[in-house]
Amino acid sequence: MPQISDTGVRETGPPDPADTAAVRARDAISVDGVSFGYPGRTVLADIRLRVAPGESVALVGLNGCGKSTLLRLVAGLLRPSAGRVLLDGEDVARLSRRATARRVALLHQSSPSVPGMTVRQLVRQGRYAARGPLGMLREGDDEVCARALADVGVADWSDRMVDSLSGGERQRVRLAMSLAQDTGVLLLDEPTTYLDLRHQLEVLQTVVRLREERSLTVVMVLHDLGHAARFADRIVALRGGRVAADGPPGRIVTPRLLAEVLGVAGRVGTDPVGGWPVCYPDHPLPPGELLRNDNRIH
Amino acid sequence: MNVPTAVRARAPETPRGRSTRGPFTFGAGARLSLLAVLVAAAFCACLFAGRSPSAGQVWDVLAGRGDATARHIVLRLRVPRALVALGAGASLGLAGLLLQSALRNPLAGPEVTGVTPGAVLGAVTATGLGLAGWESPTAVVVAACLGGFTGAGLLWLLAGRRRSDPEETVVYGVLVSAVLAGLTSMVLLVAPGELGSVVQWLVGSTEGRVWEHWTLLWPWALVWGAASCALAAPLTLLRCGDEQAAAAGLNVARARGAALVGAVALTAGAVSAVGALGFVGLLVPHLALAVFGADLRITLPGAALIGAVVVGGADAGAQVLSRVLVEGFGAERMTVPAGALTTCVGALLLLVVARRHTAGQM
Repeated sequence: MPQISDTGVRETGPPDPADTAAVRARDAISVDGVSFGYPGRTVLADIRLRVAPGESVALVGLNGCGKSTLLRLVAGLLRPSAGRVLLDGEDVARLSRRATARRVALLHQSSPSVPGMTVRQLVRQGRYAARGPLGMLREGDDEVCARALADVGVADWSDRMVDSLSGGERQRVRLAMSLAQDTGVLLLDEPTTYLDLRHQLEVLQTVVRLREERSLTVVMVLHDLGHAARFADRIVALRGGRVAADGPPGRIVTPRLLAEVLGVAGRVGTDPVGGWPVCYPDHPLPPGELLRNDNRIH
Repeated sequence: MNVPTAVRARAPETPRGRSTRGPFTFGAGARLSLLAVLVAAAFCACLFAGRSPSAGQVWDVLAGRGDATARHIVLRLRVPRALVALGAGASLGLAGLLLQSALRNPLAGPEVTGVTPGAVLGAVTATGLGLAGWESPTAVVVAACLGGFTGAGLLWLLAGRRRSDPEETVVYGVLVSAVLAGLTSMVLLVAPGELGSVVQWLVGSTEGRVWEHWTLLWPWALVWGAASCALAAPLTLLRCGDEQAAAAGLNVARARGAALVGAVALTAGAVSAVGALGFVGLLVPHLALAVFGADLRITLPGAALIGAVVVGGADAGAQVLSRVLVEGFGAERMTVPAGALTTCVGALLLLVVARRHTAGQM
């Protein structure tokens, strides 16, 4: 676990000398000095992040701070302008699209309509990377598909049309499609957006359960710091394209994190039953104060 | 973090186990067989629907009797004409489904993406310049293919960096189609002498198609049709959304490019054989998706069969209509082109599809 300063906010310093290739090879995900940007705009600058196998990480931060971009870089859907991303010690840039999809699955925030497609057919599409374009032409479902459908609890709806499902049901079906990729790493980009509280909890608890059952490495972008504190082992807070804080929720979820990363004043308490940090956001901080914080962090 | 057992999600109480229902269940197989029967029926309808020789005379010829004229008309004109109609319909149905799946747009079709207008322009220009005519179908095929690829190429250039945006691509497609149709009109004005034969390209007709057209059409349609069906898996995945498909391991740009090339080739082949049959490529995919669902492994062959039935049926219908007009109103030399029929019926169907599409988006 990276060093955490007393304040709970960590400077992204130079790489640890002990950070050898042998150590890195054990990480499920290793983001090694990655930068990314479009002409005239830097999205991510020199991100360093290592995720151990089986770890569950929540990425938090304001809109446009580069969380989703970081997930896409890890999934190999974008190429970094500097640095590299390693999955199990292998450079993503050297892997083909299909080889990458056999190692890492990414559940997108949006789920476009799929007219005429049944739940089973959609989940089956997750097998593309494993089977290839011609392999997909052959038989129907395999064991992995059936397991994915059952694990997410959607097997009963196999023959229903995806477009006829509610938002929460659809998100679970999409999750089953990602599980059908049968990867060790699962990335989730705001899996609870557009869902009501009940379905948010349902999706996140399914993720937590699957992670335990399947020993998955999970990285998820979450907007709700409370959910991040409850459902992840570790929170990585991004701000202005840099890692602003990184550590277990119990240590880094502080009023200062709320102020400096999310730009809101508020208080932090503890859930009386579960013991996880609970946030009580109060009001957004004025932009002038944000700028001051920005200068202090970087 | 340890989540207390009390707040953990209950394990789903759903039966595990291997599903035995693949795409080639009895249902899909039966539907394909039924369509094959319909294709055969459409073929027979094309053979028997004409005015002269009558249905009885056609039967005589098929039974090995009949006079020389009837034999000539049935074996040299009717049979190849029916086959060309079926082949062109299958090509257009496939091309339409390829385009709609690749562009993820239910209102895309060869008619509105510059492919059909380009192929027509090619054929008309070649005919107008005297390079090609009914006597030299090979030149027409080459010209139509060149035109079709030019239309698609123009779209590709215009769409530029935004070509991954399907909606925008279709808007540019309409633009390209309009420009190409305008150019075709100019060619028609400059070379009015050929007008009679050239107009057939614009409406789409199966009149006067002979064995030469068929021998040019079928290998082309077969090769590209087989290649397109091999794209069924990537295209089914592409229907799930670009980002989702990429995350599942698909090289989206490559799959989309391959599908577009296949669609252009199939459309160009069909246009060079029968001209611009309106709405077939746009509407057959909707029928195919309604009948077979979104799994393109079964729906692509299904679209080919439905396309064949539609164009074969339209040809038979046009022949019956011509007969009625001639016999009922005594109109001399009156022939209704099959394209007129598909356009009129297609326009109505398009209205239904567009309304359903809009309702689905609400």
